[in-house]
Amino acid sequence: MTAAARVWARRYGALMRNAWMVDLQYRASIVLWVLWGVMEPAIALGIWWSIAGTGAVGGYTRTDFARYFFALTLVNQLTIAWDSWYLDRWIREGDLNFKLPRPLHPVHEAIADNIAYKARSAGTLLLIWVVVSLVWPVVRLPFAPKTFAITAVAVVLAAMLRFLISFTTGLMAFWTTRATSIMELHAGISLFLAGRIAPLSLLPPVVAGVASWLWFPYMLSFPVTVLTGAVHGPALWAGFRGQLIWIGIWLFACRTAWRAGIKRYGAAGG
Amino acid sequence: MPAIAATGLSKSFQVKVRDSGLGGALRALFRPKYREVKAVTDVSFAIEPGEIVAFLGPNGAGKTTTLKMLAGLLYPTRGSVEVVGFNPWTGGSAFKRRITLVLGQRQQLVWDLPPIETFTLNRAIYDIPDADFKERLDELTELLDLGAVLDKPVRQLSLGERMKCELAAALLHRPSVLFLDEPTLGLDVTAQEAIRRFLLSYRDRHGATILLTSHYMQDVTALASRVLMINRGRLLYDGALEALVAKIAQAKRLEIVLQREVGEEVLARFGEVKSHRFPNAVLETPREHAAAASARLLAELPIADISITDPPIEEVIQRAFALGSENGDS
Repeated sequence: MTAAARVWARRYGALMRNAWMVDLQYRASIVLWVLWGVMEPAIALGIWWSIAGTGAVGGYTRTDFARYFFALTLVNQLTIAWDSWYLDRWIREGDLNFKLPRPLHPVHEAIADNIAYKARSAGTLLLIWVVVSLVWPVVRLPFAPKTFAITAVAVVLAAMLRFLISFTTGLMAFWTTRATSIMELHAGISLFLAGRIAPLSLLPPVVAGVASWLWFPYMLSFPVTVLTGAVHGPALWAGFRGQLIWIGIWLFACRTAWRAGIKRYGAAGG
Repeated sequence: MPAIAATGLSKSFQVKVRDSGLGGALRALFRPKYREVKAVTDVSFAIEPGEIVAFLGPNGAGKTTTLKMLAGLLYPTRGSVEVVGFNPWTGGSAFKRRITLVLGQRQQLVWDLPPIETFTLNRAIYDIPDADFKERLDELTELLDLGAVLDKPVRQLSLGERMKCELAAALLHRPSVLFLDEPTLGLDVTAQEAIRRFLLSYRDRHGATILLTSHYMQDVTALASRVLMINRGRLLYDGALEALVAKIAQAKRLEIVLQREVGEEVLARFGEVKSHRFPNAVLETPREHAAAASARLLAELPIADISITDPPIEEVIQRAFALGSENGDS
């Protein structure tokens, strides 16, 4: 390892260690957040389970729905990013005042925090999935190392995309006090366009068409369907291409917003 | 070469103005109006390495805004800054390793964890070698008397303990320029003293340059060899505190203790009576008459004790601001 790589490894190690130690102070809230993460897909699954009782819906049987929403819960926890709420507070309440004079861009603190959070909450959910699949064989996925490896890549790219979206939206706090409202709106839209409420293939063609022109499917729907084995061949490559294009666009937006925002920064709080 | 040099530094903010009521809110929504607020106007000064300089000024004078511009947090509207040879906005990590910024109201310590965890994090962020980290931590622990608090969660520490830990966290990378905004705000007298002693000793040991703001005149008199007086964003005075006092305080105070009661009209013959409550009285006379007035007091009145002092520094500063504002407005 080069000297620079060692410095970065130590920095990330220290940031993640602190994030986990803070988490341990709030064990009850971790349980609540995991429950919150399970609740929405559980309700959606309940509804589709009952609808599919009389036969497959759009090619989805009860088993398909169960696997889809279990995969969705896990992928969501592995890719969700709360950064717009953090950044909004950093900017409006002046926490950036002590983050900016340090020789480490605040984005690294956010990234380390994300890795720490995801490792912890997704680990918990994976454990829950394994336990549930022991008693409810329906949610067992066929053991397919190649699919898991491809899913891992899709999940990492989706996590990057969602992080960039959340971080960039949070940066809007340099201009408006409503940055988190923009993120709430985004979350509302993603309920439909990212496949949170139903698999995208079940949406009306118009909605699915709109979604295909935006970044939403690449945040969640794509990695979930990769994991359930519903995407193959050219569609797989198209999915990866879409993820990379949207990561590029949001990265550009993020850097532009940061550079412009930091010049406007009012350094609130004293 | 000065450690800190500011030339023609100005900062203005665009502030949204809104008429009151629902109508005003609606108008602001469709046709927002902005007003330019000048926080700092054309401020220039230079501070030599190892100097401790205090920023004086009422709330909203522009002290903190200037400090934040020097630390590279805020972009100035006009003017230039050089700190230890760097432009704060382009100096990057090399610049950031040389400075520290401590804001009394905003803390970097992780609230839920003991201070030692923030220190360990800073070791990684600033890439401090293990041996140096241990040596510096030992030094800071000794000077700031932190032994008992390093392992206690920050939320359980007193304000004074937190401020001391905050300083330690800010100094582990051994910066050569310290920007301190109200470092003793809200602390009791003992804790204030401890912080002042520490800052002097840090400067003496490491030759650091310190620029601080404070509302406590004791901070200024104990630490600073020089003051920058700022009001409404303009620099009113740059120089030694004693020289400012001599210039502004045209009067001397005669603090007397009387053996028996005398009327206020009698005391008034020797100077302006600032307070009178037997057995104590305070008179003020023009500086050049102070010696003669005290001699007459001793000769003519039953005096048990007398001392000649300058007016309280707070009053002098207030007077200086009042004079500065009059000049500035005219």
